[in-house]
Amino acid sequence: VPRIAPIALLGLLAFSPLPAQERTTVGGYGDVQYTNLTGPDTPGQANVKRFVIYLAHGFNDRLSLHSEIEIEDAKVEAGDPVGELEVEQVFLDYRLTSWLTLRTGLVLVPVGIINETHEPPTFNGVARPSFDQDVIPTTWREIGIGAAGAIPGGSGLSYRLYLVNGLRAEGFSADAGIREGSGEGQQASFANPSLTGRLEWARPGLTVGGAFWYGGTANSYAPLGTGAFAAPITLLALDARYDIGAASFRVEAANISYGDAGVIDMLNDTPIGSRLAGGYVEGAYNILRHLAPASTQKLNAFVRHERYDMHASVPAGFTQDRSLARRITTYGLTYKPTWNTAFKWDYQLVRNAAGINEYNVLSLGMGFQF
Amino acid sequence: LTLIRALLPVLVFALGAAPRGAAQAPPPAKVAGSIKRLFGPGAQVDSIRVDSATVLRVSRRDSLLGFAQVGNVIGKDQPITFLVAVGPDDRLKDVDILVYREPRGGEVAYEPWRKQFRGKSAADSVRVGGNIRSISGATISVHAVTAGVRRMLADLTAWHRSGAIR
Repeated sequence: VPRIAPIALLGLLAFSPLPAQERTTVGGYGDVQYTNLTGPDTPGQANVKRFVIYLAHGFNDRLSLHSEIEIEDAKVEAGDPVGELEVEQVFLDYRLTSWLTLRTGLVLVPVGIINETHEPPTFNGVARPSFDQDVIPTTWREIGIGAAGAIPGGSGLSYRLYLVNGLRAEGFSADAGIREGSGEGQQASFANPSLTGRLEWARPGLTVGGAFWYGGTANSYAPLGTGAFAAPITLLALDARYDIGAASFRVEAANISYGDAGVIDMLNDTPIGSRLAGGYVEGAYNILRHLAPASTQKLNAFVRHERYDMHASVPAGFTQDRSLARRITTYGLTYKPTWNTAFKWDYQLVRNAAGINEYNVLSLGMGFQF
Repeated sequence: LTLIRALLPVLVFALGAAPRGAAQAPPPAKVAGSIKRLFGPGAQVDSIRVDSATVLRVSRRDSLLGFAQVGNVIGKDQPITFLVAVGPDDRLKDVDILVYREPRGGEVAYEPWRKQFRGKSAADSVRVGGNIRSISGATISVHAVTAGVRRMLADLTAWHRSGAIR
């Protein structure tokens, strides 16, 4: 055995396959979808739903940039109602220790499962769960500053805590909830700095998370009051992912309380509820585990049931719209030749408590990430 | 023929003397701490160059305790620096995550995930979804580290069997 002088240990460090000092990484994800609603005069539609370029740069061992640029609906043209080009996230990380990374920029709000982990191969179903569209306004991002890391001591806990630009009540509505109240990194006023955070516990096969958002929504709109926390909105969310053998399960739930809904609802045609609540449960089974046990490919048969109410409560003087109590059942197949590619088929039964405007949707899709 | 008895002080000295350019090197104190944890205190460590890699040979008096190697895999976009240690029987003793730099996915450093690798040999199929369970929310890091460990275990085993390291 060749024995090498102490200086060789320095050699070990220098000759390990070390990354370059500065490096840029390109990645991406996207999906192409075909949807066909039941009923007359509803021809099917194919759409490049999203194509996202992920760019990251490591400036040194501790400082790195992470960003996503997204094109929705294939193209953006003036006057075209669909199509968006947007920066979905762009933030700098400064890693101090494993339990403390400082983060600033346009960050993803760390609530639920899909908002942070939205790459198409990571979830079943062609479209993201409707809950993660209507209640949690995925992809919800805001400009802010905060910290993230693993809680030391082998507890399996990690956290994210951000101070971010707040929501804007004037954007709220009955059927889209808080979605259009989000600043999304454009001319954010910071009139209502808000707090959001997540605590997550993970071990192989099981991830459980709890998250919150708290902040004012007045955004200098006088009738809602002044001050950083005027007309506050509170969101609490829980989620869990559990995999055992060929089976996997997911649960997401959230409750949004908005005590001052009445004031902004006087202004809006479509009044937001004073409480929005609900969630979904999903179960999936990898059929290939039995057909081809040695294979790392997957064929997930899944069913998801979503129940959420955009009008769980309404302010005094407003009428609950029962068609906003949504019940959506989705069942389908996800074929994953690799863990980061997916071909999807599903069928959705879109229902509501009022029983009006109900329909079914057939969807096909492909998705990837790299 | 130089033996490196007191590994830690030497490494600390080496770090102090290292040029600033070695910014993304694995922190020597972490390598030393990992070796100490896995092979016990006071083990002798020699560094061996084989192919283009550097392998740490760990022994005490005249008996071989095993080998270790440090490497990097790219997670989503940042390098994850890890250490793999094997015993004289070519079975994996443990995996240590020395530096994790990604915004999300640090769960690969958790003991309940890492311990799945213990006792594995190059003949075992070390695969996510097979004998290695994934962690939701850390999928990319799980795949990257698993692939890195599999390659390193295969290399160490091949070198040991061929006599390149002994």
